[in-house]
Amino acid sequence: MAVRTFLYGSLSILAILTLFPLLWVTSIAFMRSPEQSAGTPPLWPRHPTLHNIVNIIQREMLGHYFLNSLIVAVATTVLSTFVAGLAGYALAQVRFRGRRIISWIVLFAVLIPSQALVLPLFEMFREVHLINHYAALILPAAANPVSIVLIQAYMRGIPAEILDAARMDGAGEWQTFFYVVVPMMAPMLAALAVLTFVVSWNDFMWPMIAMQKASMQTLPVALASIDREHYQEIGLMAAGATVTILPMMAIFVASQRYYLRSVVAGSLAD
Amino acid sequence: MASLELSHVYKVIGGRQTVLHDINLIAHHGELISVVGPSGCGKSTLLRSIAGLEEITSGDIFIGGRRVNDLQPQQRRIAMVFQNHALYPHMTVYQNLAFGLRARRVARSVVETRVRRTAVRLGLEALLGRYPRELSGGQRQRTALGRAMLRDPEVFLLDEPLSSLDVPLRSEMRRELMALHKSLGMTMVYVTHDQSEALSLGERVVVLSAGKVQQVDTPQEIYGNPLNRFVAAFVGWPPMNFLSSEILGTSAMDLQNVEYGVRPERLMLQQHAADDLSVSGRIECIESLGGVWQIEIIHNGARLIARVPPDAALRQDEELRLWFGRADLYAFHKTTGARVKVQR
Ligand SMILES: Nc1ncnc2c1ncn2[C@@H]1O[C@H](COP(=O)(O)OP(=O)(O)OP(=O)(O)O)[C@@H](O)[C@H]1O
Ligand SMILES: [Mg+2]
Repeated sequence: MAVRTFLYGSLSILAILTLFPLLWVTSIAFMRSPEQSAGTPPLWPRHPTLHNIVNIIQREMLGHYFLNSLIVAVATTVLSTFVAGLAGYALAQVRFRGRRIISWIVLFAVLIPSQALVLPLFEMFREVHLINHYAALILPAAANPVSIVLIQAYMRGIPAEILDAARMDGAGEWQTFFYVVVPMMAPMLAALAVLTFVVSWNDFMWPMIAMQKASMQTLPVALASIDREHYQEIGLMAAGATVTILPMMAIFVASQRYYLRSVVAGSLAD
Repeated sequence: MASLELSHVYKVIGGRQTVLHDINLIAHHGELISVVGPSGCGKSTLLRSIAGLEEITSGDIFIGGRRVNDLQPQQRRIAMVFQNHALYPHMTVYQNLAFGLRARRVARSVVETRVRRTAVRLGLEALLGRYPRELSGGQRQRTALGRAMLRDPEVFLLDEPLSSLDVPLRSEMRRELMALHKSLGMTMVYVTHDQSEALSLGERVVVLSAGKVQQVDTPQEIYGNPLNRFVAAFVGWPPMNFLSSEILGTSAMDLQNVEYGVRPERLMLQQHAADDLSVSGRIECIESLGGVWQIEIIHNGARLIARVPPDAALRQDEELRLWFGRADLYAFHKTTGARVKVQR
C-alpha cells in the first residue's frame, strides 16, 4: 500500500513538473500583449485571443516551415522504419555470410554521436549537390543503427519455426516479410516510428547546417530565427512553440495503444 | 503419395558436432513411421533435414524416387507440424489455414472451399474467426494439422505434435491422427520422445540415439527383439531390469562378458516350467497400481522391478523369489551393448 502511494505520488509530481511548462507556454500563446509583457506572465489568459497564432502563421509563414518539417519527418519515419525492419529481421533471423560482422558494425555505429557526423555529412552532401534538398535531411536518417539494433533484439525473441512454417507454406522472402514478419513486429515498429518522428521533428543542428536557404528550413530552425527577431514578443514565441508541439502530442495520444500489446501471445504451445 | 528414402545422411554442425550419423531409412508409400529417442538425439534435426529447412552435410534424400537434396522446402511436397505449433499469431484460424494457398496464388473461391472442407474435417468450422491466442491446446494442434494438410503433401512430418497436450487429449488426438492417416493414405513420419506413443502409433518404429539409428522395426519386434541394450532399455515401461550374471547364479548360461535383461512384466511369482530361471531379493516396496502391483526387490544392491497380479501374501522387507522363462531372458555384450543370442 505504502509502495503504491509512493509510486503514484512520485509519478504525479513528475507529470506535473513535465506538463507545467508546456501548459504555461500554451496558455501564454493565447494572451494579449499587455498581459504577457507585464513581468512574469500569469498562468491563465484573462482575455483569450488567437491573435498570436494567426500572426505567426500569416506574418512569419509558419505554415511553410511546418510543411517542410512534415515532409522531412514523414519521409524519414517511413524510410527509417522500413530499413530498420528489414535489416533487424535479416540480422536476427536470416542466415547469411558476414551476419556477425555486420551486426557488430551496426552496434558500433550506435556509439557515434550525431554531432561528430555533421562535418563529414556536410562535405558528402555538398559533393553530391544535395545541400538545401530534402534528401539532405532524409537520407542520413534512413538507416538508424539504434532502431536496427532494437528490432534485431526483438526479432530474436520470435520463434524461427513461424518463419519456417511460412517457407514451407511456399511464401517467398517478401511475402514472408510483409505478411508474417511485419505484423509480428508491428508494436515495435509503431514505437520506433513515433520515436523517429519526434527526433526528426525536433532535430536542430543538422537541419540548420544542411538547409541554408531560408525557404527550405524546418520548423525548429525557422522558429529560432523568429525568436531572435522578436524576442520581446513573448506571445508570438509561445504561439510558435505551441504550433510545434501540437502535432507530436496528437501522434503520441493516437498511437500509444498500438505499442502496448504483445502479438506473439497464443501462437505457440506453452 | 510417395515413399521417402534417406541414404547415408550426415549432419555436422560447426564442423565438429555430428547431430545425424549415417542415417539410412526407407518409409514406404503410405506408411506411418514413428521416430523415437531421448531429448537431443537429433529427431527434430532429422525432420528439418527431410523438410529442407536444414541443409544436410552429406548423403541423399529421395521423395517418391526423386532426389530432393537441392530443392527448397516448398518444392518438396512436404508438410510439417512443428513441435510448438508455430501458428501465425496475428492471423485467424481461417487465415492460418489459407496462407499457404494464398501464397501459391490459388484462386480465392478454391481457397474458400478447401479451407472450409478441411476445417469441417478437423472440427474447426466454428473457430475460423478466432486468433491462436483464443484457442485451447487441442484446437491449436488441429489448426496446425489443418494448415499442414492444406499443403497437399506427399510426405507428412510431425514433430512431437502432441507433447504440449494433457494426457486424455493426447490419446484422443492420437486416435484422430491414426484415422487421418488411414483416410489420407499419406506417408507419415511421426517424431516423439515417448516410447509408448511411438509403439502404439507407428507401423514401424525408428529408435534414434545420439544421432544414430539403433533399430528400425515393427513395434512388436522393437519390444520383443531389441537389437541392443539401448533399445531394450528405452522401449517398455517400467524399463527392463538389467542383471549381472552373478545375480542369476548357477542357473545362468555361462556366457562371458555379458549383462542380462528381463522385462518387469515377465517376472512371475510362481515357477511355470521346469527350466524356468529365478532371482530372489528383499522386497523394498510394493506399489498398487489398481489391477496390477509394482514390486521392487533388492538383491546384492541391485534393484529389480516386477509387475505382478495383486497378492495379499506379499509383505515389505520379506524375501521373494521371482521366476521367468528362458525365452524372456536377454543378453547384451557388456562393452558394446550389442545383443548376444542365448542358447534356448
Ligand atoms: N543450430 C544448432 N547449433 C548447435 N547445435 C545444435 C543446433 N541445432 C541442434 N543442435 C544440437 O543437435 C542435437 C539434436 O537436436 P534436436 O533438436 O534435433 O534434438 P531432438 O531430438 O529434437 O530433441 P527434443 O526431443 O528435445 O526436441 C542437440 O544435441 C542439439 O544441441
Ligand atoms: Mg525436437
